[in-house]
Amino acid sequence: MAFLLLISTFLIAACGLIYELLAGTLASYLLGDSVLQFSTVIGSYLFAMGIGSFLSRYIGRGLVTRFVTIELMVGLLGGFSSTILFVAFAYTQGFRLLLYVLVIFIGALVGLEIPLMMRILKDRFEFRDLVAQVLTFDYLGALGASLVFPLWLVPQLGLVRGAIFFGILNAAVALWTTFLFEDRVGAALRLRVLCLLVMAAQGIGMAYSTHILDIADSALYADEVILARTTKYQRIVLTKWKDDLRLFLNSHLQFSSRDERRYHEALVHPGLSAVPGARRLLVLGGGDGLAVRELLKYPSVESITLVDLDPEMTHLFSTHPILKGLNQGSLTASRVKVINADAFPWLESHAGVYDFIVIDFPDPTSYSLGKLYTTAFYRLMAKHLSEGGLAVAQSTSPLFARQSFWSIAETMKQAGLKVYPYHAYVPSFGEWGFMLAGRRDYQPPTHLPQGLHFLTAAMLPSLFQFPADMGAVPAEPNRLNDQVLVRYYEREWQAVAK
Amino acid sequence: MSGSGKPLRNNRREFLSAALVGLSPKTSRPVEGRLIDDSHLLGHKLRDRAAFPAPKQQARVPVVIVGGGISGLSAAWWLRKKRFSDFIILEMEHQAGGNSRWGENEISAYPWAAHYLPVPNRDSTLVRELCEEFGLIENGRFNELHLCHSPQERLFLHGRWQEGIEPDTGVTREQRLEFRRFEERMAAFASTGLFSIPLELRGKPSPLDNISFEQWLRDQKFDSPYLDWYVNYACRDDYGALARDTSAWAGIHYFASRQHEEKGPFTWPEGNGWLAKRLLERLGKFVRPSSMVNHLERAGRHIRVRTEQVEYQAQAVIWAAPTFLLRYVLEDPPDASGMVYSPWLTANLTLDRLPRERNTEPAWDNVIYDSPALGYVVATHQSLRSVISKSVWTYYWSLAEGTPAANRQLLLNKDWSYWKEAIFHDLEKAHPDIRQCVSRIDVLRLGHAMARPVTGWMWSDKRRRLGDWGTDIVLANSDLSGMSIFEEAQYHGVRAATRVLHRLGRA
Repeated sequence: MAFLLLISTFLIAACGLIYELLAGTLASYLLGDSVLQFSTVIGSYLFAMGIGSFLSRYIGRGLVTRFVTIELMVGLLGGFSSTILFVAFAYTQGFRLLLYVLVIFIGALVGLEIPLMMRILKDRFEFRDLVAQVLTFDYLGALGASLVFPLWLVPQLGLVRGAIFFGILNAAVALWTTFLFEDRVGAALRLRVLCLLVMAAQGIGMAYSTHILDIADSALYADEVILARTTKYQRIVLTKWKDDLRLFLNSHLQFSSRDERRYHEALVHPGLSAVPGARRLLVLGGGDGLAVRELLKYPSVESITLVDLDPEMTHLFSTHPILKGLNQGSLTASRVKVINADAFPWLESHAGVYDFIVIDFPDPTSYSLGKLYTTAFYRLMAKHLSEGGLAVAQSTSPLFARQSFWSIAETMKQAGLKVYPYHAYVPSFGEWGFMLAGRRDYQPPTHLPQGLHFLTAAMLPSLFQFPADMGAVPAEPNRLNDQVLVRYYEREWQAVAK
Repeated sequence: MSGSGKPLRNNRREFLSAALVGLSPKTSRPVEGRLIDDSHLLGHKLRDRAAFPAPKQQARVPVVIVGGGISGLSAAWWLRKKRFSDFIILEMEHQAGGNSRWGENEISAYPWAAHYLPVPNRDSTLVRELCEEFGLIENGRFNELHLCHSPQERLFLHGRWQEGIEPDTGVTREQRLEFRRFEERMAAFASTGLFSIPLELRGKPSPLDNISFEQWLRDQKFDSPYLDWYVNYACRDDYGALARDTSAWAGIHYFASRQHEEKGPFTWPEGNGWLAKRLLERLGKFVRPSSMVNHLERAGRHIRVRTEQVEYQAQAVIWAAPTFLLRYVLEDPPDASGMVYSPWLTANLTLDRLPRERNTEPAWDNVIYDSPALGYVVATHQSLRSVISKSVWTYYWSLAEGTPAANRQLLLNKDWSYWKEAIFHDLEKAHPDIRQCVSRIDVLRLGHAMARPVTGWMWSDKRRRLGDWGTDIVLANSDLSGMSIFEEAQYHGVRAATRVLHRLGRA
């Protein structure tokens, strides 16, 4: 039996170290700077173990019952530590505080374990054997944990389920102890029921761990999430706060219903109003149908082809009542044809020529998106542009990403197009920029469609004026084999984020 | 507006989702695949002087080209340009292409060996001519679609990916300065113009050929371990050899021969298979696949060229197959005894999902520092799609450590599982979840993959005499240059074609 108790020592020592490693790893994942996180987590954990050891002297009678209770508390607190921390990171600003509170509590409880265990065992061993045996198994447990953690727990179970798994071990040790010391526990049955309840809770936690993470994810959005969908291509999240509807794709804000009209009117009308009698239009990206809504304001338009990668996105904006309301059912209008395809290869394999092309891609945050901003892309796009036609492209912020903006202008020029950069203010984005491009000269139109909320014909010329802090700067063109734009963009937005 | 990211407020969220992705559980999965090569069995029949059945058919063809790799196809390309069509190409494999061979599956075409063409120098006129014919150069401009897209290269060093393969992470100031000093030395060599492509253009005998590249580096007091790795990587990559087994002249040629007029190189999903395909579109009807030549002999004014099916009577033969094979089929072969060939292994990995990346993107060429192998190239890299979820990776491994003979033995002795495990073991350093992504690994073993420019060979009289050897049988393989690059293969192919036309009075 003594040996069995030493096995328990081994297990609880392993669990104790696992929680410490988990906290350190999670803090590194979520806060970065792993050296700092690991040092402070380990330091406070060891310190808390000292507190626990100190407090153990105040535990007098009912040693085994206390031990069992402490195991259950460690099992619960340690087992759910990752879950609690993930959720806290999502929901609260106090992640750091909670991290250390949790580390101190678990540490203190773990610090109680070994002194209690020694006292429980003191009648079965000589003192010097006791210390040697218990500490040997304690340190062996630590070795086991430090190997199991990186080699098995993290890769196979993940942090959330891994923690719960070891929590279950703690509870199992507790349950087992009630049998080993049947004679020394009062109310054994009550304790056992408690153990089973804890284990049940842990089992449920294990089963629902993925779900819990989803909840944590949705909580990261400031407002109520009314729709969240993970498609093959992206994560679509729609949030609502009072009358403000916000769409996020892969966590990037795409629009806020409060000011999206500013963006979409600025995107569409300065160009399309300057192509009188435009009949065939093409939209690349823009699966929310909001640009199409603006295009449909022109009676001359006979057909609009929208090419967007994600069928779930266009389906959502064709069917969801709130979203359909927002784009006024534009995607199901008879003049509109929706095609789900990747824009670059689609342009390469299709022959159509269009009078107006709207390019509304995500910002060039990666090389794979940067392809859609290259001389090769614009050259191909130009082949689809009718002689008197124009194209417009959203071109990130000339204020926050000034060189990126002017690099896009230079890229279009290198592709043989005449380029007319302009900008507009969209509160939820800030100053935003666009490129009008074509083979022809451009003058801002003097008439706009009826019923616009933001643009007036009189203000159009001013959009093409750039204040000194957004004015042209030298920039290289972005080419497939040398994507300078992605590097500009990364540097500039990083500077803004600081 | 599916545009307009606002990274400002979302860092936290992205960070969390990245962390969550990294924490999901995984399970292992079975992998299919096989050793796809069997041509070495044919080669060994030649070596062992096996008895071949007498061919049942006879045919007269003025010019026979033996070998459908780049040199053979280039010889044919040149003959056609000179309006000469009375020739055939005998190819041992069922598909022509040689070191530009390629494969294709439901995800992508992929290379089996050579996978890029450097942007040609201004004076590499033959390569430029070919590039213009294939639309790679249009109106004097390099066609962006065919140039390697960004990001070109990355290196896994000290547990993370960095852009470019020149080591940067954790490199000290002194070590950086050494790289700059190395670069300056190479630029100085480049400015002499002697390290030309093709090398016959302006290359000339040099004492640099008499020492190894490693010796030269030591003499010049280059001693940073990073630079050492870098130059060894270059030698393994281009010559299948370590710097200590490479002529300093050849090592310098690698760094000093390119003019870098444009950020290159040219590359395609199927690697240089794309070039082979374009050549075969024009020349495919001249190719006789599965036709290994097992005997060559002069008979009066003719040459008998024997395969298992047909005996051809030719007036001239262009031997574009590896030169060393000639000694197994011809009575009085040229003396190619100084030629050394590097053994290689390539593998194509089919990935039905891509390994997780943390704030990084796969490059075209992905190299793992301190790996025995050379890393992998991504077949789908040149795709214009913005979302790529499946791919084929071509994994390259030049067996440079140890003697070529011992490594050839290793290639023969080890089975598919051995190589599969070795490849996974290597890739796992950079991609811990690689085993969950790969559904298939096919492995190609090449015992004599490429000529090795060993110390003293490049400018030896022996090598230089080989280029002029023969009149009715002429040599054309790239191994004549001591290095296996597209440009040299093309050069020797065209040169052989010119000599043959001259002999036939058609020049």
